[in-house]
Amino acid sequence: MFKKIAMGITAVALSATVLAGCGSSDEGNADGTVTLELFSNKSESIDTYKGLIAKFEEENPDIKVKIDAPPEAETVLKTRLTKNDLPDIMSIGGNATYGELGRAGVLHDFSEEEVTSTVQPSYLDMANRLVGPEAEGVYGLPYATNANAVIYNKAKFDELGLTVPTTWDEFVATLETVKEAGETPIYFTLKDAWTGMIAWNSLGGNLAGEDFAEKKNAGETSFEDRYPEVAEKMLKLIEFGHKDNMGVSYGDGNNAFANGEAVFYLQGNWAIPEILKANPDLELGVFALPVTNDPAQNKLVSGVDVLLTINEDTKYKEEAMKFIEFMMANENATTYINEQKAFSAIEGVFQEDPVFEGIKTNFETGAITSFPDHYYPAGMGAENLVQEFLINQDIEAFLKKMDSEWDKVNNR
Amino acid sequence: MAVPGFVLFFIFHTYPALQGIFYSFTDWKGYGNWEFVGLKNYLNVFKDDRALDAYLFTFKFAIISTILVNIFSLLIAMGLNAKIKFQKTLRAIFFLPYILSILIVGFIFNFMFSHLLPQIGGNLGIEMLAKNILGDPNLAWIGIVIVAVWQAVAFNTILYLAGLVTIPEDLYEAASIDGAGVWRKFWNITFPLIAPFFTINMVLAMKNFLMVFDQIVALTGGGPGKSTESISLLIYRGGFEGGEFAYQSANAVIYFIVIVLISIIQLRFLEKREG
Repeated sequence: MFKKIAMGITAVALSATVLAGCGSSDEGNADGTVTLELFSNKSESIDTYKGLIAKFEEENPDIKVKIDAPPEAETVLKTRLTKNDLPDIMSIGGNATYGELGRAGVLHDFSEEEVTSTVQPSYLDMANRLVGPEAEGVYGLPYATNANAVIYNKAKFDELGLTVPTTWDEFVATLETVKEAGETPIYFTLKDAWTGMIAWNSLGGNLAGEDFAEKKNAGETSFEDRYPEVAEKMLKLIEFGHKDNMGVSYGDGNNAFANGEAVFYLQGNWAIPEILKANPDLELGVFALPVTNDPAQNKLVSGVDVLLTINEDTKYKEEAMKFIEFMMANENATTYINEQKAFSAIEGVFQEDPVFEGIKTNFETGAITSFPDHYYPAGMGAENLVQEFLINQDIEAFLKKMDSEWDKVNNR
Repeated sequence: MAVPGFVLFFIFHTYPALQGIFYSFTDWKGYGNWEFVGLKNYLNVFKDDRALDAYLFTFKFAIISTILVNIFSLLIAMGLNAKIKFQKTLRAIFFLPYILSILIVGFIFNFMFSHLLPQIGGNLGIEMLAKNILGDPNLAWIGIVIVAVWQAVAFNTILYLAGLVTIPEDLYEAASIDGAGVWRKFWNITFPLIAPFFTINMVLAMKNFLMVFDQIVALTGGGPGKSTESISLLIYRGGFEGGEFAYQSANAVIYFIVIVLISIIQLRFLEKREG
């Protein structure tokens, strides 16, 4: 008898805990506080977010924010979208995934919100272009922006007596000089396919024209038409790599570059904190990849790195909005860009770190263009195609493949 | 008692599978609105050379790995079945890889391929090993085979061990008296008597390797290029990252049929051999 009762109690207790576990994300907590889920696609910014969240929770004791930054975040987000289980607040990249979410009608429209007016119009425009004309409205607020740059090791640069190149020919000559001096010119990390897109985007953004995706979708242009020069210059760059370009991953590359194994590193500004983590004393400089021989034509590729948005169906829209307003406040936006070595999409917030001296004028004069691959169809998997091209080095076959993959994905 | 089991199986297994088949006839992206498109997705799969490449890679990988796993696990099982010291401890040790998560094993091997091997290869002056083999489109699949086989051998060894202990010792004794050597004993006694275990091991290993996914995610992510892109990886990536849920569902349905066919053929063929 006693055994039966004990079993019954255990069963009830177990089911109660299971049910409580299910309910906690929907219902408010017992003590009246609300827990928001903040989904982030960047593992690099977890600590910065945690700091800002602590400050927010102090100001708003009845709101708790739980951060979730899983690996392969975009896939996770899309999987959750298929389950109708989107997080309350999302901090995601301004790319094709965001465009799809915006078109799917699952995000809050910020057009009427006050904070929207504090975002720089050019970045707001970049984000809206991702969603496209099918869905009117502002479905995400650009928060932090990034830049594709050439990062260089200042000590080695001075040792070899180099100067910052402003044209493509000068850049290639500089690479030759480095090679002749017995140093590795560029540290490639192409085991991770996406790192090949840094150079690709810098070249494509300047050479293929901003209207490429639009024209390509209309059938008016093609990779074969606009990308041969990009492909040729990619192959030129790869000549100046190290002995195992395809075998080193991004994380290992950051460490190797931090230890002075190469003079140049083609990466985004997001790599700088990682490099400095490995070697805090390293002096770094950056410049925009000089793509053409006319310095006035060379633009910096910059995109919306972090974009804040809210789930249209969240139960706590008001609380979520409060968090977004907190993040967008000048003071907190400054904290974010300082810790993350990023740039802000918010008017009047500038990155003052001396490392970025070399691209500061680009931001001031607006010599900026967007990432071309953010407008490619997501199912095409461009980075693996580029990675394959850098191995096979067959320009004609590669450009044909890019065209056919694009068309194939769009026809599905 | 069968009813709750059936209901659970239906809800969590059959229903999602049917749902997947249903959506493969639509243009659903994984969310939002959809329309019926008939067999369009299926026809597109047959025209998709990326899918074809993935099929070729997966089959090459699965066949080689299945053969290697069966050879190694049979050898290890015979070793562990012999009269050796610490037999039980060794059996436990050889089973360990099966308990470890494939992802963790993959990351450990990834580290070895990226750092240890090139260092050793460089010091020995072997050109081929001085680079990360996972970065070479012609060699990367070997790295995946090594990890997959290393991990899978444990489970198949257990099955072979179970088979070996069923063979009565006196058969070997009688054979010895007749003057049979080790080789003769293996081919005429051991192998025929564990034939059912050989069948099940071949079928299970083949099926598991055809669905290879975790190892690739941990080691190469399908690269370099598309050289190690397996079908499961292509379906997952295209379906969830590329917004091609319906198209990749069609691919998955085709793949399901292919795996079922292969398993049936294998069973038929191997069972005939058993008898």
